[in-house]
Amino acid sequence: MEQVLRIENLGHAYGKFKVIEDISLAIGRGETSALIGPNGAGKTTFYNAISGKFPPSKGRVFLNGENVTGLPSHRMVDKGMCRSFQITNIFAELTVLENVLSPLIIQQKKHFKPYGNVFKDRGLMERAMHTLEQVGLAERARQVVSSLAYGDKRLVEMAIVLARDPSVVLLDEPTAGMNPQETENMIQLIQRLAEHSGTTFFITEHDMKVVFSLARKIYVLHQGHLLAQGKPEEIRTNEAVQEAYLGRKSHA
Amino acid sequence: MDTLLLNALNGLSWGMLLFLIAVGLTTVFGVMGILNFAHGSLFMLGAYLCMQSMQLFDSFWFGLLVGPLGVAALGVLVERFLLRKIYSRDVTFQLLLTFALLLILDDGVRMIWGSGYHVVEPPVLLSGVMTIAGQDYPIYRFFLIVVGPLIGGLLWAFFHFTRWGKVVRAAAFDNIMAEGVGINVPRIYASVFALGAWLAALGGGLAAPQQSLNPAMGEKIIIESFIVVVVGGMGSFPGAFVGALLLGLLDSFGTVFAGRMQMAIPYLLLAVILLVKPTGLFRKGV
Amino acid sequence: MSLSMRPHLIGPFLLLLVLLFAPLLLPVYWIMILTEILIMGLLAVSFNLLLGYTGLLSFGHGAFFGLGAYTCALLLQAGHQNLFVLLGAGMLVALLAALLIGFFSVRLDEIFFAMITLGMGMLFFSIAHNWLAVTGGSDGLPVFALPVLNLAGREFTFYAPNSMYYLVFTTVLAGIVLLWLVVHSPFGLILRALRENKQRVAFIGGNIQLLRIVAFAVSGSFAGLAGVLFCLFNSMATPEFMHWSFSAKPVIMSIIGGTGVFLGPLFGAAIFFGLEQLIIHFTENWMFFLGMVLIPIVLFFPQGVFGTLRNRFFKQG
Repeated sequence: MEQVLRIENLGHAYGKFKVIEDISLAIGRGETSALIGPNGAGKTTFYNAISGKFPPSKGRVFLNGENVTGLPSHRMVDKGMCRSFQITNIFAELTVLENVLSPLIIQQKKHFKPYGNVFKDRGLMERAMHTLEQVGLAERARQVVSSLAYGDKRLVEMAIVLARDPSVVLLDEPTAGMNPQETENMIQLIQRLAEHSGTTFFITEHDMKVVFSLARKIYVLHQGHLLAQGKPEEIRTNEAVQEAYLGRKSHA
Repeated sequence: MDTLLLNALNGLSWGMLLFLIAVGLTTVFGVMGILNFAHGSLFMLGAYLCMQSMQLFDSFWFGLLVGPLGVAALGVLVERFLLRKIYSRDVTFQLLLTFALLLILDDGVRMIWGSGYHVVEPPVLLSGVMTIAGQDYPIYRFFLIVVGPLIGGLLWAFFHFTRWGKVVRAAAFDNIMAEGVGINVPRIYASVFALGAWLAALGGGLAAPQQSLNPAMGEKIIIESFIVVVVGGMGSFPGAFVGALLLGLLDSFGTVFAGRMQMAIPYLLLAVILLVKPTGLFRKGV
Repeated sequence: MSLSMRPHLIGPFLLLLVLLFAPLLLPVYWIMILTEILIMGLLAVSFNLLLGYTGLLSFGHGAFFGLGAYTCALLLQAGHQNLFVLLGAGMLVALLAALLIGFFSVRLDEIFFAMITLGMGMLFFSIAHNWLAVTGGSDGLPVFALPVLNLAGREFTFYAPNSMYYLVFTTVLAGIVLLWLVVHSPFGLILRALRENKQRVAFIGGNIQLLRIVAFAVSGSFAGLAGVLFCLFNSMATPEFMHWSFSAKPVIMSIIGGTGVFLGPLFGAAIFFGLEQLIIHFTENWMFFLGMVLIPIVLFFPQGVFGTLRNRFFKQG
């Protein structure tokens, strides 16, 4: 399978404290993968280090075969990696439409164009409406985002992340804080996008139901190291994983 | 050599005044998150109130006691009825509100005492000059150089050995929210603002015999104090001390090597610090 | 394009008519006040591109206004009388200075950004105040001859208050139309996104610092344009333009008028000067009353007077 994202010996330390160490993995195109691990395992640090929030202290990141290690976040997006955040990260006082137009403006290199009405730019508007239809927000296009329900705000973030048609999408706990119905909708949305649009998702998630219904490959992070990787059924039966993580979790 | 000494002494005495202003400014910012444009006006008002009460009671020392207390009382009112309403608002509104206070205080003083200069004589004990290295130097400026660290030391002791002081320090310098440790937050805020106002006014009263009084004297010192606070690190007590001395000395030596352009030095210092270490000299990254 | 289809254009259209015919209706004194309002309004609207649209509080915008004014005064003293050269040069100098200051300032946020722009503005103030040979020091640079405009075989001068008014009116109108285009362009939308959430802009591929520098430069150059106009109107460039207390004016005007409305700061300028005229009738302590007026505005009108009233009476979705 063609590799979209390959990570080699990635490590990050704050001073002497190593948060993550020696992580290597490869994600195939169109293959939804998940990174799991207890709190403090280093998931967020890992995400930040590969998405350009800060450069990793060790290791390399390849995106579509190109070495992108240590690029700042905006360059990382240009290379084809977009991400969501645990805490909803959107443009609160803009409309849904404006939220999804923003990444498209940058993608089409119009972000320094100081003239011309955005809403009359068909190249932008068609793409924006298409993305909103994908996540089911087309009817809310003119609403200000801060007036939306929580679940819809998460969908707006999905739309922002998907708008530029990235080759890999990092989702940091996409269903955090959602009620069961919203969670179910999100699962279906991600499944639909992965199947029909061929989008590659790489998610972290606490909710094991979400992980096992979406991921075709699972990576388990424990105390900064990759403890195990494999298909969901392999992870489910892996004794080390059960001991470190799943066992406790399933009894809770 | 003599000019060197003279400049050093001038720089130190100006630095000590700056410190008194900046330490209040930085504590208020640390605890309440508000950078108070009107802080220099409290300094100016303090100078006028001290002058007025010195005349009234015919005693420098009594004036120095009464004037700052009056300004501190005003500070309590300002905190209670104005600042308290905007803690959660955008920084623009906070700056503008304190700027409005500056306008009111500066013009208010102008309405009461006129826009001309007033002169305050130092007390008999501290008037006259003493000879040092063959140069005559005003005794009053020595007094300022001594009294600055003295007040600084008392403040330090207050912040380290009293319960109130420790709470304020925790809130201002260690970014700990006072709610968490069961403290009456509104009362902390009011007393911190009053303390800052008192220090500013005390600085004004102490400055009165050294420089002539006019309603614009607050505007000069507020910008320099901003620079001290940013350079030292917002909310940092030792930062305010070091920053004030640094700026005081730069101000007085600047005329030697930069002539008229010494006016630009504080702003260059500010720019350099903000670029190299935006959190200031004495503050770790937040 | 008929007006009935675009109700939001009726207000600006009426305003334009009033301003166009104002010299026929108002005495000379008020024409001069109106001229000043328009110039300061352009400064405030350009400033609000930063505060209201990009979310940056600049406390040194007077520097660009002052640089425009000094550029104009120096060129006039050197004998350059072409109006377009003056306007263009003032904008260019302000633009270059804004690029420089912006380069250093945009990595900071909130109060730190306000402080560094205040400091940089004061740096220019100290230069203007002390570089006697070029700037005339605290006395400022006087202007003795105003530019001449040759248009369609006719020669226009601007010594009469009414012709000065029309010069200012036309230039401010052009400046505001250009800024309106910027605000509604793709660049303008990205600036508003930046105001809402700069981290998100970085994670959709936007270079935050570059975007901010460009916004700063655009804003600064239009402030410079306003400075050129004020130098012509005032026949003088003085260091006070660059002082932080002058830089506070566009802040006050934007907050009074409302930062969320494009023309809000222009109305803020009108309210500011209207109030000043009203109050100096009764007392010379206008600053005291400005402070007294500002406090309730800050406390009770979170979107500015104009913005809050608009939201109350014309609630828009």
